[in-house]
Amino acid sequence: MRRAALLILPAAIPTVLVLSTAVTMGTVQSLGLWPVAGTADASLAAYRAVADSGELWSAVAISIVIAVAATALAVIVGFTTALAVMATGRRARVLKGLAISTIPVPHVIGAAAIGLLLTDSGWLARLFGSTSDTWPQFVGGPWWAAVILEYAWKESAFIALVVMATLARDAAELSETAAVLGAGAVARVRHISAPLATPALIIAGTLSLIYALGSFEVPWLLGRAYPEPLPVLAYRLFTSTDLEVRPQALAVSMVTVAIALTFGMAALALLRRRTVAA
Amino acid sequence: MKPRTAIGRTVVLSLQLLLSTWYVLPMIPLVLWAMARTWPAPLMLPSQWGPAGIAEALHDDATSAFAASVLLATLTAILATPAGAMAAFALTFGPLRGHRALSALLLAPAFVPPFVIVMGINVTLLRLRIPSMVGIALALMVTAIPYTTFVMRSALAGYDMRIEDEARTLGASPGALVARIRIPLLAPAIATSAFLAFLVGWSDYIVTLLIGGGQIVSIQIRIAAAASGTGNEAVVAALSIAAAAPPLLLLLALSRFSRTPKRRESPASQMAQEARRTATGALT
Repeated sequence: MRRAALLILPAAIPTVLVLSTAVTMGTVQSLGLWPVAGTADASLAAYRAVADSGELWSAVAISIVIAVAATALAVIVGFTTALAVMATGRRARVLKGLAISTIPVPHVIGAAAIGLLLTDSGWLARLFGSTSDTWPQFVGGPWWAAVILEYAWKESAFIALVVMATLARDAAELSETAAVLGAGAVARVRHISAPLATPALIIAGTLSLIYALGSFEVPWLLGRAYPEPLPVLAYRLFTSTDLEVRPQALAVSMVTVAIALTFGMAALALLRRRTVAA
Repeated sequence: MKPRTAIGRTVVLSLQLLLSTWYVLPMIPLVLWAMARTWPAPLMLPSQWGPAGIAEALHDDATSAFAASVLLATLTAILATPAGAMAAFALTFGPLRGHRALSALLLAPAFVPPFVIVMGINVTLLRLRIPSMVGIALALMVTAIPYTTFVMRSALAGYDMRIEDEARTLGASPGALVARIRIPLLAPAIATSAFLAFLVGWSDYIVTLLIGGGQIVSIQIRIAAAASGTGNEAVVAALSIAAAAPPLLLLLALSRFSRTPKRRESPASQMAQEARRTATGALT
């Protein structure tokens, strides 16, 4: 008992210290109770300020749309990759190698690469012989396409890896048996691979959703200057020379973590309902 | 398994080609730009080849940014790997009061965006005069702990404690038990866990930027600074490839390393079985 308790401390103490400090100090500062400038005064003024300017609502909407679109795409591509890798042969091994080597590429580099690929003078525009007038505005455009594609690219590889591990363990043998018994490819995916992969898809999908919601560098590099998603808005307020707006940065930050935790809880509930049903 | 019909084969083949393109496409302009001396639009390939980007990157002191990243990533791995391994041991073999709460606690940082953590702890780090390098390492360690704990828990779920019991019966000291049995058997999982922690530190952008306050420049900060400007394509590409290489090489080494124990294990386990058979024969 005592030994197990001691063993968990090196991980638990830093985690508790950092998370509790981050949440309490974040809340305290967002309520104006620990001002960098001016006097302490408990109020929701910072939340009201970002809400009234409309910045908060547009940031919430943009961040959720980007995260959901990127994750939906990543789940589809990632799951399809895992299925395509289940087929044996050299091409399946090459695909697996390519997907796996995408995983350790940092998002800053992914954003730089997607930028070189998709700007109006990027490689794809040159391949298609487009000029800046005819090429769609993927980078910095109104649809946040480059941002969504960067997340989808990176996260699809992550989701593929997680699902591959699950399917390699559970689905390969069942699929063989079902095929011998006469089940077609579509039936095998629908009744074996898809249900077996669903828990892994929910977990990996939620992690990538929360990542896309709270990551700064990709929308900062590939997005447009205005309106801003949540992390970019929080960063601008946090690093502003006007120290009066610091509580607003923390307010945006607290709203972000609330949304992230809501998604996390929803995923857990979904997983629990599935296990109860099964 | 292999597709059974001609249509199935065509579908699988086109999916494999399409998906391979999806993963490899963004890397192509990066590689081309890193080798381009001049590449004006609308040419599809550089008009002159040469290591212009690499030269400019070296000139801009990319090496010190590289060194800072190596330091941060190594620190993250050194801190988060043993912490995660020990926590996984406690959670797997317990007994532990508050098991579920502790398990949730160690996964929680994966659900909190790093910028939220950093903006929340920044004032406290400044008040306590914690050096920014220590603050960054602490934040990165906490961000990496969910992954190191998870990897080690998965590995320990399949770990047979009876091997340790047997060694203990045969007179192995606690130290020898850890050094000669536990660590060698768990080496592939420990390596994976350390790799993920290294990756968390290596990929980080916002934690170093905000806590370091511009004083600590990692390779990701250098790349982002170059990428946010215009006309830097060659430098961005050279830096990106240099910065993507270490984790890719580590991943390659990891896949080699995780495969070797099986090969090495078989003669050893054969010998052990042989020895056991001889011993049993001598006893009966």
